[in-house]
Amino acid sequence: MKDSKYTTISIPRPLHDRIEKMILKKEGFKSVSDYATYVLREVVAMHESKDVPDPFTSEDLEQIKERLKALGYL
Amino acid sequence: MRGFSLGSKVAIIGLDSVPPELMFQKLLPKLPNIKRMYDRGIHGTLETCHPPITVPAWMVMLTGKNPGKLGIYGFRHRRGFAYKDGYIVNSTTVKEKTFWELLSAKGKNSIVLGIPPGYPPKSIPNCNIVSCFITPGMEKQFTYPAELKEEVLKVANGKYIFDVTFRTEDREAIKKELFEMTEKRFDVAEYLAKNKPWDFFIMHEIGFDRLHHAFWKFFDPSHPKYVAGNPYEHLDEEYYVMVDERIGKLEKIFGDNCISFILSDHGSKGMHGAFCVNQWLEEQGYLKFKTKPTKMTDIDKAEIDWSKTKAWGWGGYYARIFFNVRGREPEGIIDPTNLQKEKTDLTDRIMAITDDKGQKLHNMVLVPDELYGTAIGDKPDLMVYFGDLNWRSAGTVGHSSNYLFENDTGPDDSVHSMNGIFLMYDPKKNLAGREIRGAQIEDIAPTLMNMYGYGAEVNGMDGRKLSEVFA
Repeated sequence: MKDSKYTTISIPRPLHDRIEKMILKKEGFKSVSDYATYVLREVVAMHESKDVPDPFTSEDLEQIKERLKALGYL
Repeated sequence: MRGFSLGSKVAIIGLDSVPPELMFQKLLPKLPNIKRMYDRGIHGTLETCHPPITVPAWMVMLTGKNPGKLGIYGFRHRRGFAYKDGYIVNSTTVKEKTFWELLSAKGKNSIVLGIPPGYPPKSIPNCNIVSCFITPGMEKQFTYPAELKEEVLKVANGKYIFDVTFRTEDREAIKKELFEMTEKRFDVAEYLAKNKPWDFFIMHEIGFDRLHHAFWKFFDPSHPKYVAGNPYEHLDEEYYVMVDERIGKLEKIFGDNCISFILSDHGSKGMHGAFCVNQWLEEQGYLKFKTKPTKMTDIDKAEIDWSKTKAWGWGGYYARIFFNVRGREPEGIIDPTNLQKEKTDLTDRIMAITDDKGQKLHNMVLVPDELYGTAIGDKPDLMVYFGDLNWRSAGTVGHSSNYLFENDTGPDDSVHSMNGIFLMYDPKKNLAGREIRGAQIEDIAPTLMNMYGYGAEVNGMDGRKLSEVFA
């Protein structure tokens, strides 16, 4: 039966072993799959993002400033 | 660790701007769920940081580091020593590690809903994150992981509300959006608590702050503008009761194996007025205009003669004062060796400011480097509270008086106070409604670290472990 939440991808065994060795030292990642998911999410997000490195566009900034002013913060 | 059941989860329900006077006194009898937690838990006031503002207060709470270490003194900062160039704080401005980042490194899972500043959501393994009210809009990537966004929008019926629109005097519209926003936040909170793995859960609701700012004069009989019998006289009760019901539902999902905290980042109280700090600085000879504005004008848009200006200020719940120092500001005129004397002189003048009736205002002047020990980032030279924070600072100029009885920037009836709330509840233990005293906002992160057994790793945090939690 197909698991709707997860699927399997193949990576070269030596790469798998290197990751496994590395994450043993680096706390936080529970498995190679965990690590691969994290890294792939980062890379995919980078490709998908058309935004400039600054999280707010100049339009966003003007709108946020107006909002913060109306809220009494500025 | 006596009194703390090993293996328990911890959940924090963060309620922005809730004062003990409302939740633990006036409204407590109307709030069955919170009352049960209060009667069987530990409660007290949670003293906030300077300045008592949402940003940086939640980050102080959850990093255990004071605003000087974070380099965050409000939502907005100058960029270096520029007169006009500035930036709005976002999640990436926070360089210190939050509690859930520390937990993540231990392989523990967290749910983080709306903690400010939370936009853009940081990529933290083992976390499900939804960004905060500063998020520019639903079209942005406001979750980590990115796939979570679709789930949040589905739960919120396609419209997740980050914040209410506040540019209007139409209180009915604000009320409607306020309730809808908070209900949706709790819908998402329930969904996440049920469907995502977590050892630590934290959520933030901004609605209380908006309720207080937009409606305080309607429900507080001691507010100078209160009118008995107005249609929003019991809106505080209506809103708090709605949230109490939602907290009750959430508590059931958390289950018996979860210790819950209800915390706020600062309190609220009625606004007495706004003091026009820049007009006053001009009167005192510190600020000169090329052309003096005759109608309300933002200080950033006023034509300032920098060659004759010694100091200027910013508005908000507190005033930030900047000196125009030679070699530091682009057209600075104060000799750097005189800066300390200028600070002292201006402080003396600020302390002598009276209210509109000539009564003492009880102002407070703080110097970031002295206050925090270390103060990094784009700090003001002086931080000023007018009238024990009952008077906000108006940065705008062009008013006929230095005393305003309406906020200069929008509908506002409340200001911030130094005491927020602390409530801890362990379903497995009757702690008999004990009171905790002296808890401070930066104590929360080191306390959580101890609860999870990482007490040895709190070095560098400013807070202390709240031993009452473990007694």
